[in-house]
Amino acid sequence: MILGFLPVDSFNVIVLAAVFVLVATGLHFTFGMLNVVNLVHGELILIGAYTTLQVQKTTGNVLLGMALAPLLAGVVGLAMERGVLRFLYERPLDSLLATFGLALIIRQVVQFIFSPNPQTVRSPIGGSFLLGGFNIPWWRLVIVLVTAGLLVGVIQFLKRSRFGLQARATVANPVLAETMGINSGAVRAGLFALGSAIAGLAGAMLAPISTLNPQFGLLFLVNSFLVVIIGGKGSLRGLVVAGVVLGGTLAALQFVMSTVLAQILILAIAIVGVRVRPLLGIVREAQTKTTPAASTSASAR
Amino acid sequence: MLEVEDLSAGYGQTTVLRGISFTVAPGEVACVMGRNGAGKTTLLRALMGVLPKTGVVRLSGTDISQRPGHRINAAGMVWVPQEASVFPGLTVRDHLVIALQRRREEEDGIAEAGELFPVLGERLEQEAQTLSGGERKMLALAQALIVKPKVVLMDEPTEGVAPVVVEQLIPAIGAAATESAVVLVEQNIDTALALGGNAYVLEQGSIVVSGTVRDLYDGGVLEQRLAL
Repeated sequence: MILGFLPVDSFNVIVLAAVFVLVATGLHFTFGMLNVVNLVHGELILIGAYTTLQVQKTTGNVLLGMALAPLLAGVVGLAMERGVLRFLYERPLDSLLATFGLALIIRQVVQFIFSPNPQTVRSPIGGSFLLGGFNIPWWRLVIVLVTAGLLVGVIQFLKRSRFGLQARATVANPVLAETMGINSGAVRAGLFALGSAIAGLAGAMLAPISTLNPQFGLLFLVNSFLVVIIGGKGSLRGLVVAGVVLGGTLAALQFVMSTVLAQILILAIAIVGVRVRPLLGIVREAQTKTTPAASTSASAR
Repeated sequence: MLEVEDLSAGYGQTTVLRGISFTVAPGEVACVMGRNGAGKTTLLRALMGVLPKTGVVRLSGTDISQRPGHRINAAGMVWVPQEASVFPGLTVRDHLVIALQRRREEEDGIAEAGELFPVLGERLEQEAQTLSGGERKMLALAQALIVKPKVVLMDEPTEGVAPVVVEQLIPAIGAAATESAVVLVEQNIDTALALGGNAYVLEQGSIVVSGTVRDLYDGGVLEQRLAL
């Protein structure tokens, strides 16, 4: 079952929350901002994990693999966006089909190269520390810290950088952005590559705490979409809240019931959550804010 | 100098504009007039690269007909859309920074926007979405004018705006027209008369009458064509 490999202890509430946020952050760019129903997100995570595995096999250096993983996933994401997806931004059903097809291709290629057999990536930092009577592996603490750092970096990048400003404008109104001098095609390509690279990083970070096989990415696909949708598409704050609530609740539920039952309960909570309303983000904003035209005519009156 | 030759454009299979030709020199205002549905907004959207078109559009002698919107903007043509749309979540300052595109010192451009419309200078850190309709028109106009464009396309900048705001907008448009070529879609005859220049009356996507705004008004042509 999804992420059921984690042992039950109190620190897992934090770790699982971080994992949910980590795997969903890349999807924030490709789906939350660019509106591509990106079914290839799991395979970008897969590329990150297998890149780490391959570099470990070739050089014995896991950290080098983890550094290369986001680069390769980013390049693959960029190639997919430029080659296929950029023609489909206004055709959501076609982009869904295209990403589904691309996901199948990548999974089959990975299976062809690496075989369907389970393989393992060594943790770059071994050992554990004692916390509240439990042995916590150091690598899980690293996952939490890297996720926190990534979030801070992404938020600051989107808020403060010139590219971030152009990206927020393009996402909000691509036609207006283009006519104001922003190369909206390049901005979209950059966003997709960035989201893909972050998915690759997530795969690399999570590889040491799991067993790798070509289905590895699928484990994270559904939860990534749940986090982005419940958080409210386009809202990083919402994504963090949703990731912490869903991941934390799943870990907590595992104390009192089986992992399978906990995951079912999480899905039920998610469905109710989506039915009621997203936490934050553009979907909610659209429900509560008036349109520019309406405001203009209102002010005219 | 903006030169438009035999321009046709439309939406999908529907042709809206047919065989449009006109020129506008720097310091001139070309008023595009016509009844609702005549194709005025379509003309500006086609010029700005938002809609596919045929024909030739030259800016200072360079053919920009098939360029995407951001390269048309880079060539020196800017657009003030009718809706005065803003980007949700972005501040007034953000909008001005985007408009400037590093073409001049940012703080100089932002200061100039504040001089054009003091209310914008007071609200630089405010989300543009929270501005009133009139203030959004000011922002849209400021975004266009602070980049010192060669051509400004304006789509009914005074529509739906309180008279007190119109009094601020018209001098700003007039000042822009001293250096730039202005293509102004305008229904309001008083605004058109105040800005002067040539008028091009559109009917069913074609220019049917042209001449100076004053001559066409005095001759009763505008009254007849626009059902004033």
